[in-house]
Amino acid sequence: MASSIACGSALKMATFEGLSAKSLGLRGVEPAGSVDVLTWESVGRREGRGSSIVTAGLKDLRDRIATVKNTQKITDAMKLVAAAKVRRAQEAVVNGRPFSENLVKVLFNVNEQLTTEDIDIPLTTVRPVKKIAIVVITGDRGLCGGFNNYILKKAEQRMAELREIGVSYTVVSIGKKGNSYFRRRPQIPVDRFLDAGNAPTTKEAQAVADELFALFVSEEVDKVELLYTRFVSLIKSDPIIHTLLPLSPQGEVCDISGNCVDAADDEMFRLTTKDGKFSVERETVRTETVKFSGVLMFEQEPVQILDALLPLYLNSQILRALQESIASELAARMNAMNNASDNAADLKKSLSISYNRQRQAKITGEILEIVAGSTVTV
Amino acid sequence: MDTFRLRVIAPDRIIFDSRAAEVILATNTGLVGILPNHAPLLTGLDIGILKIRTNELWSVVAVMGGFAMVHDNDITILVNEAENAKEINLQEAQEIFQLTQTKVSQADGRKENIEANLNLKRAKARLDAIQEGIKEGTAS
Repeated sequence: MASSIACGSALKMATFEGLSAKSLGLRGVEPAGSVDVLTWESVGRREGRGSSIVTAGLKDLRDRIATVKNTQKITDAMKLVAAAKVRRAQEAVVNGRPFSENLVKVLFNVNEQLTTEDIDIPLTTVRPVKKIAIVVITGDRGLCGGFNNYILKKAEQRMAELREIGVSYTVVSIGKKGNSYFRRRPQIPVDRFLDAGNAPTTKEAQAVADELFALFVSEEVDKVELLYTRFVSLIKSDPIIHTLLPLSPQGEVCDISGNCVDAADDEMFRLTTKDGKFSVERETVRTETVKFSGVLMFEQEPVQILDALLPLYLNSQILRALQESIASELAARMNAMNNASDNAADLKKSLSISYNRQRQAKITGEILEIVAGSTVTV
Repeated sequence: MDTFRLRVIAPDRIIFDSRAAEVILATNTGLVGILPNHAPLLTGLDIGILKIRTNELWSVVAVMGGFAMVHDNDITILVNEAENAKEINLQEAQEIFQLTQTKVSQADGRKENIEANLNLKRAKARLDAIQEGIKEGTAS
């Protein structure tokens, strides 16, 4: 007859109602006669002796797993939201096409009527460069990986280059992240802080254009460079520098090394899926520049008309840069959130394994205690 | 009724794409009225107002510079930005106009001058647009 069960103590191994430890299928248990028969290592216990510590560890692990699961849900959602917003950014670019197409056509035709001596438009004046305005486009929010850092690093690089060749500069910062970066560095001359917003419209582009127009035409600066990230791939983020002003009368787009692209060539980005994964495609769209048939009467001199056209061109260039920057930021965020989700999944897996192991160890321990306690025979 | 196709396009959206009977443009060489079957024309637009007549009603739009192209009974107007008089508040437009006037008098230096004058022109265009809109009865 079994005496009252005494748990939790090193016990003499005995049989309980005829059942031996062995017949119960418990391993690591010495047959009757030995003291301290339970070898904790064999049941995978690594820490703690009493069941109370195990329970606390279990609860902690459970809470941690729940937290990680929630975080994963959030990062997953953020990734999908970013992907949806990229589509919207894409649409915005497509919506801007009617404007650029018509502008390019007219620009072409007006230039055909011009001879080089005629051109004396403030926005196209090429002057010896003493001071440059650098327009730095960053994002408003974080959680986008290295996106903002790359741009700011490139900006610092450019400023160092300019210092070396003895050209002074001033910064026009667009985007909250860039703004706070430059605000913390008062040694960098900043002309204006502007906000970009999530969906750049012509109002935002106009605000930037006004500032740059005033800077350039008043001859405070002799050149304006635009620093932004083009939406090329979902993984890579390579900021580029475009020369924005002075404009070329034909409307060519040039980068600082002097490589120019014709105004009629426009590159549009598209977020598509390839093999089940998101990918970015860029396609070059060329606008047909046909000479207008028939006599087109110019109400004003071709030069005056060009004077009206070029601010429009400036605006659309700035708007495009803002749109590309937003798309790149969203892609970077998609990437960052994707990585975060993957990390969360890995963490959850390892936590779950650890949790289950502890849980099983606890159960085994309790069984052993019961068995050991119950086999004490008087 | 004779009409022509009229499109008013801004860098980020299409503002108007429909048929109209008459359009009055504010160019930097004066006001120009366009009727159907007009001769081919290309003109720059100043910061001012654009009036469109559809079905005997005139709608007024404040435009911030651009150009207009008339060709084959099809008018394409590209603008930096446009605001329909219906969406402009008279009081607000007057206040902004006065504000820009004081800014011009306070402007110091060439850059500030350029900026201030630009803003003044724009404010005036908006004010003119809403006043004209009220006169035509299509805005309030």
